[in-house]
Amino acid sequence: MSMRSLWVTPMLLALLSLTTAPAALHAQPREEATADNLFTGTLDVRMGQRVFQQQCGRCHGNDGSGGEGGPDLTNGFRSASTDAGLFKIVREGIPNTQMVGISRRSTDQSTWMVVSYLNSLNDTTDVDLPGNATNGQQLFAGKGNCGSCHMVNGDGGRRGPDLSQVGNRRKPDELASDLRTPDEEVDPRWWTLRVTQVDGSLVEGLRMNEDTFSMRLMDDNENLWSFSKSDVRSFDRVKSSTMPSVDGALTDAEVDDLVAYLFSLRREES
Amino acid sequence: MKRLAIVIALGVFATGVTPASAQKTESQPGVTPSFSPVTWERLLNAKDEPENWLMYSGTLDSQHFSGLDQVHNRNVGDLELKWAYQIPQLDRSETVPVVVDGVMFITEAPSNVVAVDAATGRQYWRYNHPLPDDLRICCGRNNRGVAILGETLYMSTLDAHLVAIDARTGNLVWDKELADYRAGYSKTAAPLIVKDEVVTGMAGGEYGVSGFIDSYNAKSGELEWRANTIPGPDHPDNQTWAGDSWRTGGAATWITGAYDPDLDLVYWGTGNPGPDWNGDVRMGDNLYSDSALALNHETGAMEWYFQFTPHDVHDWDAIQVPILADLEMDGEMRKVMMWANRNAFFYTIDRVTGEFLVGKPFAKQTWAEGLDSKGRPIRIPDTFPSAEGTTVSPPVGGGTNWFSPAYSPRTELFYVQAYDGEDTYYKRDEDYVEGDQFTGGGGQRPGPADDYQSAIRAMDPKTGNMRWEFEIQPRSTAGIMATAGDLVFSGSVDGYFFALDAVSGDELWHMNVGRLVHSSPMSYAVDGKQYITIAAGNVVYTFGLRD
Repeated sequence: MSMRSLWVTPMLLALLSLTTAPAALHAQPREEATADNLFTGTLDVRMGQRVFQQQCGRCHGNDGSGGEGGPDLTNGFRSASTDAGLFKIVREGIPNTQMVGISRRSTDQSTWMVVSYLNSLNDTTDVDLPGNATNGQQLFAGKGNCGSCHMVNGDGGRRGPDLSQVGNRRKPDELASDLRTPDEEVDPRWWTLRVTQVDGSLVEGLRMNEDTFSMRLMDDNENLWSFSKSDVRSFDRVKSSTMPSVDGALTDAEVDDLVAYLFSLRREES
Repeated sequence: MKRLAIVIALGVFATGVTPASAQKTESQPGVTPSFSPVTWERLLNAKDEPENWLMYSGTLDSQHFSGLDQVHNRNVGDLELKWAYQIPQLDRSETVPVVVDGVMFITEAPSNVVAVDAATGRQYWRYNHPLPDDLRICCGRNNRGVAILGETLYMSTLDAHLVAIDARTGNLVWDKELADYRAGYSKTAAPLIVKDEVVTGMAGGEYGVSGFIDSYNAKSGELEWRANTIPGPDHPDNQTWAGDSWRTGGAATWITGAYDPDLDLVYWGTGNPGPDWNGDVRMGDNLYSDSALALNHETGAMEWYFQFTPHDVHDWDAIQVPILADLEMDGEMRKVMMWANRNAFFYTIDRVTGEFLVGKPFAKQTWAEGLDSKGRPIRIPDTFPSAEGTTVSPPVGGGTNWFSPAYSPRTELFYVQAYDGEDTYYKRDEDYVEGDQFTGGGGQRPGPADDYQSAIRAMDPKTGNMRWEFEIQPRSTAGIMATAGDLVFSGSVDGYFFALDAVSGDELWHMNVGRLVHSSPMSYAVDGKQYITIAAGNVVYTFGLRD
């Protein structure tokens, strides 16, 4: 997580320095309010980050990816769809919830800077990538056989994450890493549970949910199972990925194409 | 008369003594209960009326132990939901209700309180405290409960007031401002009644405030004494703060303390020094942050202190409920205080003198080699926050936190909610601006939540050794109640409320209550029936045995 934040911030700053026109920073869903935010430059984002870390980081995490009680803010916003809406929430909070606004004495300027920082965490600016997204789409459906497990816009398999908006939550280098070394960072949702029932039979599948007393999984035949832990003989968590590495199966150029395609799968295009 | 008879029977069954309230508590079944004034004698002897839960931690020694045993380790599986009370605000509740003779007082976010029939959950009255719209609160609109003396409730409010409320009507009796909320002060914890005074703390340690513990005349609301948790420049311990850093040093007091009537000592924990994560600007031990304080109740003078984490740079407040008990240790009866600290060490301390007796880790920790003979931590180098991030256990939220531990005099075990987590800690430069957060850094969990686990651990306070543990997947931030039925009740962030065998740790019962349990359980009885109550999400659930 820390590595990610260290990497992302310089990259974003570099990107932002290339695109100073406010409208270019935030494509759709917030353009109508973007004109109101006059603080969208590189330094504004950096200042916004500073205010965010001081005022918001305790709940939302130092890099906005979620923390003690506050949701992840790097994958879209639940309660605002415009910059004006974000401004209002940052300033005033969300009524009847734990989300309180930043200090009322904060200036409009510093609040807009926080808005710019939050937008930078969800930046969807196009970047020049070496790969060809159209070729990548063909690989996804064909040689890569990705669609057998992954769904995109309603088409595909169920045994991997839905990738319809993966470009919003993963950067290109992270996507490449996901493809080449899938075991490096496996979301617990995609661990495997191996459950030995009292009769000795084994049920194995993707870990959909687990809590103190129970667990739920989907097996290879896409059957859903729910177990009480006290009713099984034993269970194991396998924390490696069920996805094979593309290394050896695809060329470097093909991996680039696939990354370009995956990065193109973003909210505004869905 | 039916209630009177059953109360006596319960009391005898549970404790072998006639409840003190038996003479005071009379009402007809099905008739609105009319509680008797809660005198200081009743509070002093709260153990003798286990059908009531008269204060935040149950009794003045804060054991969070219920003397009721109608629900026990052989019939707990017959618990069922009796009623639910929906709090109108969406905030996660941290309340521990108080119950007096069949009336329950529940605090709500942001700073409200309702009185309900404890047998049905139906409301008598409510008090909504008016609040400004520019509060400074770091960590949620929390309120953890009330105190009661006579027929008056005492409650903290988020704008740093202490209010007195008529317990029969909800009418405001008096309203006292303790500090200026605009400077970052707030109040979230239940006060503690000691004799005819209301002892109370404050919150705001993330805003560069200066901590204190106050004692107010319960009748008039006049301040009797204030104990500052950071000594002023005339005091030698002020030298433990570099330069003027003591002025913004935090050391808030945001959880309820305990009281020993024989020693006339009030015990209270203090919070982190400020700024939380950048210690460079406040070199020194930063007394009396992260400490247990023993205060003479008559004067507020400090008899002794024990600092758990000198020069804390990880936000490990000593904001835990102090638990008092008398234990035989090495052939000698000792008056002790038991304390599982946010820094992941468990301590047993002589509460007469403050002498360190026992100390061992109860949760994963990577910051200290251990404790020296005085209980001072032996730090491991390079564990301080840094610009690039330093990963350390426990995390910011600690090996445990403010939610109540429990102690059973039957098992002589201390039960704590432990978390084996870690955080990457960051440090940054920050200027103090009054009313703004002043933290100097932050923390970030380096892995997914499922990579870490909580556990309820039963600690032997005589040795600091763990007797048993019950693992919770992935985490709990709930308090614990032990009972005379040899049960331990607690909950988890995944929405379970459950009961364990207090002796073995075996799970005996659980219920999916749907949202995270972020409060501490309590128990009481009405008309001879024992109830167990827990707040989960923004709902207060009450369970009892199947009829």
